[in-house]
Amino acid sequence: MGSHDEITSDKQVLGLVGRAFKAEKVGLLIALLVMIIVFSVLTQNKFLSASNIIDIFIASSMVGLVTIGETYLLIALQVDLSAGSVAGFSGVLVTLLLSWGLSMWVSIPVVIVVGGIIGFLNSLMVNKLKLEPFIATLASMSVFRGLAYIICGGKSVFVMNNTFLTMGVGRIFGIPIPVIIFLVMFLIFGIVLARTRFGRSVYMIGGNATAARLAGINAQTVKAKLYIMTAAFAALGGIILAARMSSGQPDASVGLEFDAVTAAVLGGVAFSGGIGTLGGALIGLIIMQGFNNGLMILNVQSFWQTVAKGLLLVAALSFDYVRNLKRKAKT
Amino acid sequence: MTLNSSVEFKGITKTFPGVKALDGVSFLARGGEVLALVGENGAGKSTLLKVLNGDYQQDSGLYLIDGAERHFKTPQEAIAAGVSVIYQERQVVPYLNVAENIFMEEIPVMRSGLIDVKQLNARAQKVIDEFKLPIRPTTKVKDLSVAYQQMVEIMKAYRRSPKIIAFDEPTASLSESEISTLFEVIERLKASGIIILYVSHRMKEIFQISDQVVILKDGKYVTQLPTRSITEQEIVKLMVGRELGDIFNGLSRNEEIGEVVLRVSGLTNDYIHDIGFELKAGEILGFAGLVGAGRTETMRAIFGADRVNSGQIFFGGKQKRVEAPEDAIACGLALCPEDRKDQGIVGGRSIADNISLAILKKLSKMGFLDKPKERSLAEDAVRELRIRTPSVDKKVGELSGGNQQKVILARWLAANPKVLLLDEPTKGIDVGSKSEIYQLICDLAKRGIGIILVSSELVEVLGLCDRIIVMSQGRITGELKRKEANEEKVLELAMAGM
Repeated sequence: MGSHDEITSDKQVLGLVGRAFKAEKVGLLIALLVMIIVFSVLTQNKFLSASNIIDIFIASSMVGLVTIGETYLLIALQVDLSAGSVAGFSGVLVTLLLSWGLSMWVSIPVVIVVGGIIGFLNSLMVNKLKLEPFIATLASMSVFRGLAYIICGGKSVFVMNNTFLTMGVGRIFGIPIPVIIFLVMFLIFGIVLARTRFGRSVYMIGGNATAARLAGINAQTVKAKLYIMTAAFAALGGIILAARMSSGQPDASVGLEFDAVTAAVLGGVAFSGGIGTLGGALIGLIIMQGFNNGLMILNVQSFWQTVAKGLLLVAALSFDYVRNLKRKAKT
Repeated sequence: MTLNSSVEFKGITKTFPGVKALDGVSFLARGGEVLALVGENGAGKSTLLKVLNGDYQQDSGLYLIDGAERHFKTPQEAIAAGVSVIYQERQVVPYLNVAENIFMEEIPVMRSGLIDVKQLNARAQKVIDEFKLPIRPTTKVKDLSVAYQQMVEIMKAYRRSPKIIAFDEPTASLSESEISTLFEVIERLKASGIIILYVSHRMKEIFQISDQVVILKDGKYVTQLPTRSITEQEIVKLMVGRELGDIFNGLSRNEEIGEVVLRVSGLTNDYIHDIGFELKAGEILGFAGLVGAGRTETMRAIFGADRVNSGQIFFGGKQKRVEAPEDAIACGLALCPEDRKDQGIVGGRSIADNISLAILKKLSKMGFLDKPKERSLAEDAVRELRIRTPSVDKKVGELSGGNQQKVILARWLAANPKVLLLDEPTKGIDVGSKSEIYQLICDLAKRGIGIILVSSELVEVLGLCDRIIVMSQGRITGELKRKEANEEKVLELAMAGM
């Protein structure tokens, strides 16, 4: 009897692992692998060199921070279109504060808090005015892009503060600081999403908001936290970008939110809510940025990178659609 | 139009995973008569209509129109062959006008490609005149009453010169006078030689309008009789059969009723007026009434899901403010909502995720979920409630209706409630699962949980409840003890003031 039980529990464990990977991740990992192999061959291994991998991660870090927020939001059946504008606005704001002589240890927290407040305003429009997330954040996208130009009079603000610039270009153990910030955030928020009560509420709200509410989950509070979080990440991304470019530019990060959404959806986050993981979104992000990077090494005109991004998205989603059809046909 | 047209089902069978929705159903309907299809919820009436209009294809059996075999792959094909179904829910486009709705897919256009408004309105007026209705072609459908919206749908079906028009519970949201207008229209359709199928569980109407009755029970064909040759009691007996009665007699009921656990007084909002009652521990209290009587709204108000304008709610003798479901849950209240799919389950998530939903706080330490505990809790519930599933990882949306309902019950049992509000807990569930859920409800009462059962199935309320409160038009119209309650008394109170 005992051995029989062991066999079934082994099988269960195997089945579990298998299911978790087969269903959601294997397709993605294969796509990632294919991309790596193809570009490695085409670029004669330049693609896989340490410095190039770091390049890919640096390019991923700003989008990546916002991808965390958008992934949470998409799972909860929300979206924030204002992230790029908030990033642009924050980049200008932080450089302005620094140029007025404020210390970066004051300026950075202030700007992140301002970002959080913008997120809170977004959540008020969604929760209290009952605006569709798309519309509410479309409005703030416009407002904060405008304000980004207004506070700097339309001109870039340059930074002299060397400690601040380190944040953009400095390295610890050879790894750029932006990459470290982004990976640490991914890890923390990945665990929060998968392991905590808050993370679970996000999934349940996206899966069925009415059922979640009738089970005692306060969806408005959860949503407020998500918008605050996303806007704070956008602010942080904007700050890092300003540090990398040693200037705050009001036209920076246009379309950042769409790149973040693209990465999340590529990584298996369902636009219809309730489904997806941050790990998946990370792979989606790496695929997206890897593609850009590979085409760049191959000297493909940058306009084609944008075309490729769109085609990649369509290809990934058609793949999902066909797989779902097959699964349906089985049952 | 031919007067001798006919539609015939011969041994139609349709199986879904785990459920035989239709099992050898046969009937014959002729032009110029109204054939009523009766049966309890879940007897297979809706499935039958879906086979009729090409939404579903039968697994076996013959579907004949005018003696010729038909296989419709889509509703469009059925419509083209002259089959129209008027559903309970309106299928009109609210922001288009009457004429546009009636001629939906055949709007006349001028040579320029623009809509020929004059001709459209003239044609619509002609149809409206035939029905002698006081509406104008240019009125937006959203501005019409529900009854006239239904008329627009009937006219839309009529102008396609149909052979068959099937009505699915057409009077569900109509007033008495609107019903008589509808019946006049049906008589007119009948006189023009159209076959009318009429699905309803309102006995009065069946005797008023139908010529033939086909009785279905648990997906099986029972009999077809001329309406004149049968009485209401006989139909009910054939519909319900002995089985359900047996189920209720076989239940092991709770005999120990305890203290008052819930008291409501003067509860009033936009839907309900001055609702007051008491519920004791271990008691099963039924809420009966017609659809729209305010029973669901009463439960939602108590649970904090809808705004309350005035009134008090007492738990265990203490008055509590309930402004949101989380307040109600904190007081030991639980609600299994009426619409299982839209309000109960999170279909895309696993059984375990669904069961733990109401007790995430209890299951977590410093915000982190105790997943092994969550899992073992779910596995226990699956065993205890006999939820049929290979594992607790299965998505709830892939379970049968009965098992989904058990998952929702498990969710609330995990929360250890003192009061359980069950709103139509057996809606759309097969008879086997129903009896399991009935026994489960009795077992919960034995544990001392006060239970409110809202149900539109009278047999269920009469068979399960210790006491029955009847509502009509948002008010409580009476209360019956188990011993004194019967179908007539409940119905009388349910129609009070209408």
